[in-house]
Amino acid sequence: MQTINSILAIFYKEYKITFRIFYDVLTIILFFLLGIFIFVFSVGPNREIFSQIGVGIIWTLLLLSTNLSIRRFYQDDYNDGNIFLLHMSGLSFELIVLIKLIALWFFFQLPFIIVIPIACLILGIETEDIYLILVTFFLGSPVLTSLASISGSMNLLNNKNFAIGSVVIMVLSIPLIIFSTGIINAPPELIKPQLSILGGILLLFLALTPWVSAGCIKIALKNN
Amino acid sequence: MIKIFINPSKFSHFADIIFKPLLIICILTLLLGLIFALYLSPDDYQQGSTVRIMYIHVPSAWLSMLTFFIMTIYSIVALAFKIPFGFIINSAVAPIGATFTFICLFTGSLWGKPMWGTWWVWDARLTSVAVLFIVYLIIIFFRRSFSNLDVGEKITAIFIIVSSINLPIIKFSVDWWNTLHQPASISKFSSPSIDSSFMMPLITMTISFICIGLLIAIMRIKAEILDRKGEI
Amino acid sequence: MLLANNLSFKRGRKEIFQELSISLPPKKIIHLKGRNGIGKTTLIKILTNMLFPTTGEIYWEGKNIKKNLYEFFTNLTYIMDVQTSKNELTVSENIRFWMKLFSSNIKSKQLEQIFDLLSLDKYKNTQVNFLSKGEVRKLELFRLVIEQKKLWILDEPYAGLDESTYELINETFRNHIGNNGMIFFSSHHYPELQNMDTINLENYANN
Repeated sequence: MQTINSILAIFYKEYKITFRIFYDVLTIILFFLLGIFIFVFSVGPNREIFSQIGVGIIWTLLLLSTNLSIRRFYQDDYNDGNIFLLHMSGLSFELIVLIKLIALWFFFQLPFIIVIPIACLILGIETEDIYLILVTFFLGSPVLTSLASISGSMNLLNNKNFAIGSVVIMVLSIPLIIFSTGIINAPPELIKPQLSILGGILLLFLALTPWVSAGCIKIALKNN
Repeated sequence: MIKIFINPSKFSHFADIIFKPLLIICILTLLLGLIFALYLSPDDYQQGSTVRIMYIHVPSAWLSMLTFFIMTIYSIVALAFKIPFGFIINSAVAPIGATFTFICLFTGSLWGKPMWGTWWVWDARLTSVAVLFIVYLIIIFFRRSFSNLDVGEKITAIFIIVSSINLPIIKFSVDWWNTLHQPASISKFSSPSIDSSFMMPLITMTISFICIGLLIAIMRIKAEILDRKGEI
Repeated sequence: MLLANNLSFKRGRKEIFQELSISLPPKKIIHLKGRNGIGKTTLIKILTNMLFPTTGEIYWEGKNIKKNLYEFFTNLTYIMDVQTSKNELTVSENIRFWMKLFSSNIKSKQLEQIFDLLSLDKYKNTQVNFLSKGEVRKLELFRLVIEQKKLWILDEPYAGLDESTYELINETFRNHIGNNGMIFFSSHHYPELQNMDTINLENYANN
């Protein structure tokens, strides 16, 4: 079917482009790692403290690292007319957003799978917890990508206030942070319920994001 | 009837009519409320005289939430039904909501110091209101971040709607987070058990706050309407 | 057949143009002209449904494009004033992407011919950000041939092109018209083409 071919072509294009700008992705990972170091420098290398707050540090830094990829979402494709080009090839804006979500999660969030265990080891987090952290990462990182999509689409025509994109992500991510960090140090009977809540937040944002982002993109296209 | 809430000129007309009566109700309820709050209502058994801050703290919390609710409704109206008056309401009313939220936080802080010895406590309600304050600030800043003001209003309205979905979730998360991290504490800002002697001044102050909010809102909305008429 | 009826566009309170009607049957070209800033790109964006007109409707094959957007887009190639080729990809990668995106039936022999004509042969494996502005414009025109659509709408197609490419475009236009196509373009140049009507936007603008 033509739509499936178009979608595959778009993924292949995103892959090729990300491959050419790979150092950007690596730098974001480096930002994360360096952030861990900064925390250690500012708080002191007290292992006991880190086994308690380590998860919080990791999720905070994941959130801050996501801020670095907001522009990558739509700004380039909007500036060179590619979003409208994709629309003209028969895809709805919501579908375009969804494709972008999947592609950018894959290329900008999935690489963290490698650094998170390293960060856990550096911070002295228990090895049993690392598995749980990775599970919450799989549930929570798509939410981060969705938030980046919402913020990126809202800020397409924003040329006065560059900081507000990050601020929007941070305020919308509060429930995510609370639950994804809460799971780790919680008593066992509270783990499954919190995972379900996290899953619920994920589903909510997955449902909301294509609609919100497509709406903001349409507003940006009409007011060029 | 509905037209009053949607049409700028009908609203201006209606606003002119109710302004003076509203001002009178406001002054009366404010005086009445303050007299009851400061003199006639009893001290709390546990908290003593400082409980009287509640009479400003609680109504301002309610007003801050009410304002946000109104902004959400008008954002939906403006975007879905393409009624520009909604954007006027949003830009006029946001600073009012932010101020009430700030008053709530400030009085909450003042209440906390003699009670618990610290200027700030991370209890569920105060934290949620603090987040609400941040959301208000984002709304105010966001609108001004776009050189094209039409785009700014629409995007801000979308943000308001997204936030209105997110705020109950935040409230729920913060409540949960609070019980997790402070398992043994009672809510630090528990209002005294609702007795009629406490309800009366509370309701009176709430009504007067609503009137204050409405009065300022009316003035700001009329100014905004004139501003938009002028630039065209 | 593209029809536009009584179009007007207001930005804020400023009228950009009004009472503009367009009729573009097969085998016809319309040349849109007017000084810089008069609203040529705005009109083109309205015709491609990127913007909505304040009044007026646009019809493709008798149906309102707002209600039959997919059908309209299936028959439209829109060359914009910005480049849609991706800077990070090579010329060939961009072309292959467009071919898959639009499910093009073009044969590789045809592609080779066009590469030859546009003398982009030696740049096949060069990233687009290493090409000159003119060469990037030439790459953009590849889309016309790849997409194989009936209606071509182009915003300043001649900008930045040298003599031989200018003639090449005219030749391409003539071929397209010969194959029952239709073209709508804006430009400051005056190409010598048959079957061409001119719309001067200044006649419809409100000054």
